[in-house]
Amino acid sequence: MILRSVRLAALALAALALIAFPQWSEGWESSRYATSILRDILIFAIFASSLNLLVGYAGLPSLGHAAFFGGGAYAAAIAAQRAGTDNLLLSLGAATVVAGILAAVIGFLSVRALGIFFLMLTLAFGQMVFAIAFQATDITGGSNGFAGVRRPELLGMDFNSADALYRLVCVVFIAVVLLLWRVVSSPYGRALVGVRENERRMRALGYDTRTLKFSAFVLAGAVAGIAGGLSAYAFRFVSPNDVAIGASITGFVMVLIGGAGTLAGPIVGAAVVLYIERVLSSSIDFSQTVLGVVFVLFVLLARQGIVGVARGAVHRIAP
Amino acid sequence: MTPELALQQALNGISFGALLFVLAAGLSLIFGMMDVVNLAHGSFYMLGAYAALSVVRLTGSFWIALILVPLALALLGAVLEPLLLRRLRGRHLDQVLITIGLSLVIADFIRLRKDWGWGAEVRSLAIPAGLDHSISLAGNDYPIYRLFVIGFAAALAAVLAVIYRRTRIGALIRAGVGDAQMLSVLGVNTDRLFAVTFAAGAGLAGLAGVVAAPIFGLQPGMDVDALIYSLIVVVVGGLGSLGGAMAGSSVVGPADTFGKVLFPQFALALIFAIMAVVLLFRPTGLLGRVRISR
Amino acid sequence: MIETRELRRRFGGINALDGVDLSVSEGERRALIGPNGAGKTTLFNVLTGELGATGGQVRLAGSDISALRPWQRARRGLARMYQRNELFDPLPARENVRLAIAASRGAYRPLSSVARADASAADEMLDGVGLAGKGATPARALSHGERRQLELALALARRPRVLLLDEPTAGMSPTETAKIADLIASLDRALTLLIVEHDMDVVFRLADRISVLHEGRVIAEGTPEQIRGDTLVHDVYLGKAVPM
Repeated sequence: MILRSVRLAALALAALALIAFPQWSEGWESSRYATSILRDILIFAIFASSLNLLVGYAGLPSLGHAAFFGGGAYAAAIAAQRAGTDNLLLSLGAATVVAGILAAVIGFLSVRALGIFFLMLTLAFGQMVFAIAFQATDITGGSNGFAGVRRPELLGMDFNSADALYRLVCVVFIAVVLLLWRVVSSPYGRALVGVRENERRMRALGYDTRTLKFSAFVLAGAVAGIAGGLSAYAFRFVSPNDVAIGASITGFVMVLIGGAGTLAGPIVGAAVVLYIERVLSSSIDFSQTVLGVVFVLFVLLARQGIVGVARGAVHRIAP
Repeated sequence: MTPELALQQALNGISFGALLFVLAAGLSLIFGMMDVVNLAHGSFYMLGAYAALSVVRLTGSFWIALILVPLALALLGAVLEPLLLRRLRGRHLDQVLITIGLSLVIADFIRLRKDWGWGAEVRSLAIPAGLDHSISLAGNDYPIYRLFVIGFAAALAAVLAVIYRRTRIGALIRAGVGDAQMLSVLGVNTDRLFAVTFAAGAGLAGLAGVVAAPIFGLQPGMDVDALIYSLIVVVVGGLGSLGGAMAGSSVVGPADTFGKVLFPQFALALIFAIMAVVLLFRPTGLLGRVRISR
Repeated sequence: MIETRELRRRFGGINALDGVDLSVSEGERRALIGPNGAGKTTLFNVLTGELGATGGQVRLAGSDISALRPWQRARRGLARMYQRNELFDPLPARENVRLAIAASRGAYRPLSSVARADASAADEMLDGVGLAGKGATPARALSHGERRQLELALALARRPRVLLLDEPTAGMSPTETAKIADLIASLDRALTLLIVEHDMDVVFRLADRISVLHEGRVIAEGTPEQIRGDTLVHDVYLGKAVPM
């Protein structure tokens, strides 16, 4: 058992290395490219982590989670463009709040359903949001998407340069991970696991399980909105694809391959999926097939994901 | 809306509903029997349409495709069920996840097969000769093929109803939808029954693909559209029964058609709203026969 | 302490509960017996709120709780030991109990750390039900008897006022049955118990009074001796099960 303080120190070092990545990778041939991929991995790691709270911890299989990611993205874009605000806190705040409200509405209606019906309800609502994003051309730009999203600034710092945006994404990522770590280790987080394992018993113990599920749904939605806002800044573009079922499925794939119900799982999953979708796809034509096959194999053979498998191995070596 | 236009749209709605029935019947049965939402259902539909492209190109006959393609899809389903789903018995969410993976693989497979004349460009399938003209209806011309679709679906529904109600396999399927565990206790080989049901579902999805191709064409993303529509039909009409698929498609077909004509802005959202409302207040659907369990 | 008034529950054409009047005083140990299909499980489900009544009232400590949801009734001091264990299978026994204890300390603490006090309280609880040292074992790895003990621990963890025991000795060997019966017998006398049981030895050992349920109604009620001698009950149920 590695000492707790040693683990914390190692994590702190890793965080610093992460933030300083553009600097110490400057000598690499494809440093710019690597930085942008890493940036996107972190953004999607936030998205996958928020979905993991629902799927991995609370046991709520949501297939419409991209609605909150895209909702946050649109909100950030519209805040900059239409509301004329350039303030980072307002813009990202708008993304979080809009996504949270959307999650509250959809969550309120969905959490009363169980299992497969919850899955289908979230899918239906996700598609409704997609339909609205697609049709409401005046607000969202419709099928052409919302281009030219301005990056905000904070206290005089602007994030137009790739490095500055990268640092912002890093800081937000670390903050989100710390927040989720706290939540997951708390009595609330344990209660979510309890709801996943035996909701009937939780009710008999005095837990208001519907409120537990609802609050987890809203929290997950809000965090997804943060990821969406960051993605709007990163790509300077938002499209209905960001709320489409494909994006929700990608999130699910990330969570599962990485390891549902673990903190590191979605981060690892995001890295794997983005590697396949961005890096591998430039050398081979069939990267989507690879992703599909990998996903199927994990569901069949390694349901606990990469992190789950790693943990199992560590326990066997050093129980 | 003029009466002529209304008649045309009504026929469009009915023919769309007819198509939806063929598409959704399989999904409904698979869910009723195996408690699995087959999210690769739209992929089977898409595969059926593209397979029809090749069969027609090779044999010149739409009718051969109409027979061969569903059989081929059924065979595929019969192979995939034991390969992928059987090991995950009892793990319903995992079965759903695996069908997601399957849908990704199938969609990419189609996109890559440019050498077969498939690929990512929009393609079309010609309406079979003999059905490619219009008849005069209430002063306007209406394509005969759409009327054929209605007739075909009605005939198929009748055949399926006979099989469902009068044959042994139909009785087994009906019993399985009610309680598959009980069946296995009674000595029925439920593994084979599940494989047959899944194969039938895939075959029906493929059949829908062939029939729909001359009307809707072929393009990337048609699998997602088909899946969404079949889910809506199945939820609205009732999970687990043919009657449910019939009820659902008769509602969704016309609703979608008239919706697109009357308020195109909201038509899409309207359909999902209907689905959500049904899920909220009558989760088993209008004619559902499936109990809600954890 | 816990009572029902004219409690009814219909399922389609069947009156599972057909006007049940039951009144259990504080600290009393009441056994509920009756042939299969008499409505015992339905009664428990209605008492906990997992099933709604179609008529009548459920009262706890003098207040009408008929409209309360299961988790609200649990917070008022009603606990249940399920006939088929409702445990958190993959979690260690200690975690199972800790969840139960944390419930009484408030579930909505997303930013606080899990108290160490909860863990030691959980271990105490496990000791109390005879599962000392098994804290780290996953619930699904315990033996059937041990799982029943854990089930009891979960029911007791909130220090309830009323405990519903649904066939506590179901599926147990004689040794395990004796163990559980001892445990229940040793429970705090201030705790009100309502026990559904088929094992008559256990019933006659633990119960202060017995209510006999048949076809959704209480057909007899009294001390174990009175019930033993009641011919109606004899005809309906006991028959050859207990020597007269």
